[in-house]
Amino acid sequence: METGVKFTDISLGRSKERRRDDPNTFEYTYKAEITNIHRLTPKESLYRIQILDPEERIRFTFSPGQFVMLELPGIGEAPFSISSPPSRHGDVELCIRSVGNLTNFLSKVGRGARVGIRGPFGTSFPTWEMHGQNVLLVAGGLGLAPLRTPIAYVQENRSRFGDADIVYGTKDPSQLLFTYQYDMWRADDINLRLIVEKGGPSWDGPVGMITTALDEILAAKPPSYFQKTFAIVCGPPVMFKFVCTMLNEREVPMQKMFVSLERRMHCGMGKCCRCNVGSTYTCLKGPVFDYWTVMNLKEAI
Amino acid sequence: MTDRNAGGTFLGVPLYRPRTAFFELASCEGCQLQVLNNEATLAPFLGLLEIVNFREAMTGGTDDYEIAFVEGSVSRKDEEDLLKEIRGNARVLVALGSCACFGGVNRLKDRFDPDWTRKTVYGEAPVESGRARPLEDLVAVDLKIYGCPVKKEEVEKVVTNIALGKAVVSPKYPVCMECKANENICLFDLGEPCLGPVTRAGCDSWCPNSRAGCWGCRGPAEDANVEQLEKIMQEHGFAQETILDRLECFGGFARFAEAFRRRRREGAE
Amino acid sequence: MKKRARRHRREEGHGRTDMIFRTLGKAELPKLFGVMAAGGKIVAPVEAGRDRENRPVYVFRETARFEEAALSYTTTKLPAKRYFLPYREDLATFRIEGDDWQKLVDYNVDRPRIFFGLHPCDINALNRLDKVLLNGVYPMPYYVAKRKNMFIVGIDCLPQPYCFCRSMGADTALHGFDMFLTDLGDDYFVEILSDTAYNFLRCVRTSEPGEDDHARYMKAVSRKNDKFIAHVDTTDLTKILDMEFQSEVWKQWGDRCLACGTCANVCPTCYCYGVEETVSVDLGSARKTKTLYSCNLLDFAEVAGGHNFRPERHVRLKYRYYHKHRGFVEAYEEPLCVGCGRCGESCLAGITVPEVIASVRGEGA
Repeated sequence: METGVKFTDISLGRSKERRRDDPNTFEYTYKAEITNIHRLTPKESLYRIQILDPEERIRFTFSPGQFVMLELPGIGEAPFSISSPPSRHGDVELCIRSVGNLTNFLSKVGRGARVGIRGPFGTSFPTWEMHGQNVLLVAGGLGLAPLRTPIAYVQENRSRFGDADIVYGTKDPSQLLFTYQYDMWRADDINLRLIVEKGGPSWDGPVGMITTALDEILAAKPPSYFQKTFAIVCGPPVMFKFVCTMLNEREVPMQKMFVSLERRMHCGMGKCCRCNVGSTYTCLKGPVFDYWTVMNLKEAI
Repeated sequence: MTDRNAGGTFLGVPLYRPRTAFFELASCEGCQLQVLNNEATLAPFLGLLEIVNFREAMTGGTDDYEIAFVEGSVSRKDEEDLLKEIRGNARVLVALGSCACFGGVNRLKDRFDPDWTRKTVYGEAPVESGRARPLEDLVAVDLKIYGCPVKKEEVEKVVTNIALGKAVVSPKYPVCMECKANENICLFDLGEPCLGPVTRAGCDSWCPNSRAGCWGCRGPAEDANVEQLEKIMQEHGFAQETILDRLECFGGFARFAEAFRRRRREGAE
Repeated sequence: MKKRARRHRREEGHGRTDMIFRTLGKAELPKLFGVMAAGGKIVAPVEAGRDRENRPVYVFRETARFEEAALSYTTTKLPAKRYFLPYREDLATFRIEGDDWQKLVDYNVDRPRIFFGLHPCDINALNRLDKVLLNGVYPMPYYVAKRKNMFIVGIDCLPQPYCFCRSMGADTALHGFDMFLTDLGDDYFVEILSDTAYNFLRCVRTSEPGEDDHARYMKAVSRKNDKFIAHVDTTDLTKILDMEFQSEVWKQWGDRCLACGTCANVCPTCYCYGVEETVSVDLGSARKTKTLYSCNLLDFAEVAGGHNFRPERHVRLKYRYYHKHRGFVEAYEEPLCVGCGRCGESCLAGITVPEVIASVRGEGA
């Protein structure tokens, strides 16, 4: 008769397809390479990052609004929402502002640098539910980064949407991101309205708060527009609160407005608790929430 | 000095290998000794810096440096002048250890009459020596490495981070976090006073690991609830003098000690 | 899928199947301990010293000696956390090779461990952690690997004045152990949940429990129930916590809180953590280290760039109650608290769960 406790080795059940219920997926990092760095402003750059293994690259799929954890060994790891179209799979673009250890180090690396990627994580904007409807995309500051993916989705599937409007505001003109794409968006019949809080000699566009620009757009819409519109709002909480309130006053249902929350995350998988809002995991139940849910989250706004 | 990291990179990013100097003011030089400790990693550690001035470790020296590590408090005019000169030369000035950060144990002399101290310490050959002050009282300090003495592992981390261009941060939380992680029995349970609940961590609860209460050498944690701990210590039956001894030992809690004395005076009136 | 998971768990011995009962003479226990010690490492409660009032201080520690195991212990200062959620643990190491690197992942467990004498609260704590770390989305391998290698011998206890496990539904363990011992005087009433445990018991003399053993067991249970002093009223607690989100009482507790993180460190269910990456001095390797954190610490919710979502002490303290007694209940229908009372006992500021919750409910001082 055999007595004693046998050792259980959980790594033996490793799944090749990186199933998320396989514990061995937890710390698995896709080895990736920075294939290009596009400096957008003195503070923000767009990093094009390609998963090295061709099979893994194709298998990597995500939805607009999801994020990845980007890791530089010994430097750190942090969450970034994906800014590239889902059709490009594991050849992603991340728009990153230099504010901390990891991002400052990233601002010094060059093409060809090897990084790690985990994910994709979190909830997404339900773009398929928006088919046949108008879309209103509102971004403040760096909020344009997560919005760039749904914008690309609208471009790729333009016939499936009614009106497509983007309202984008920053503090001053120098902070405007992706300026080189504005003409492309407009060419795809997306109405883009820019506004800055503080103009300058080189700026002949409107000056004011984002709500001013939004107000103008909404004023031109017929009442029926609001019955058939989805809104995605990305930016600081104070901004999306104002914007969503305005939209709700015009009878856009709260469940048809989506926001993306930003919190500190150390794992991205509902374990470290650092991103909790009230008692809700931003990484699992978010980062994309409908406005009704956000309104009812303690600490969210 | 080895030069193995000169021109080196990490993940393709060039390393910063600064010209570095070490200085001491009123101190025991124990922190600099710590810098030279840990033989296992000493060679790579020294390789991260280009040391151009370090009296405890080399002869000669130059004023052409980017980073200056300064140990000790300032208690004399010549030290004040030297510190200002260092500040003028260095791009980054690092306060090394409790004396440089807070005045340190040297500051205990401020409890006594200066004339009496001078006579008792120096007898018939008096030396000019005023209040022991932290570097910050006189010049801008860019970085603080806490502890009496500093912990070599922390100095290594700081220097590695400088080479990599990573921000250098000390824990904001108190020693209790590390003490619990080390599974020590709480010193309050053993009837010992301890400043662990309010002192900045990073020492890996060095003293409590040896069943000795914390004396606060690393100064207050950020958001430290010192007044609450004072109350708790009194509830545990520790005398006010015991609490003051702890708070005043390394100077980091000076403002709390002053407030404590003030409250005590007001309470007595 | 579900069926496979259940079968899998049964093999591990942590799933609930039909329970087998035996009685074990107390004189046989050292022999059982010896049989187990011969086959593996045993972790048991041992007396580590005496406190200032000469009360024993208990800790969980590896021991091979039965005499050292203090099976009638009260509560250990710290849970056996380091064996399943170490305070510090490397999630990965990196070999730096020029501009490239290799990531190496190790779950930091190389052998099974036998836990001899866990109280129901600590077993329930593991069961609750399982919900997030083992059975939830993204199971955490560092925990799973250790948990699957825990062989647990539970033992009953007598409630201390600070124990409120009953209010948290954690006073009895229904599963999550291999064997459970209840003191009947001269014998132990043994519940057996795994074949591994059954095989161990075949090495010692046991007998089929009779009617009188059942009666003795019921008596032991009711004796335990009569001993509870501390209680928490959990009626409608999730709603009340929402209603009282802006209550002034949080501020009062926040003023007392030392924000030292001790409550989280002594908690058998707190699993929050932080990750830090460091590079070795010779720049040839790096490590990614997980450190258990506490939501009471100042920078728990601080983001890169410095914005802090919870800069105030009372807001952080409140969050801890929200996670344990509201969010977790909402998700799993039980609190992330087993009422072991360790946090209150260790809190120098004397902040206890029963008092905080009573105050939020508008009761007590």
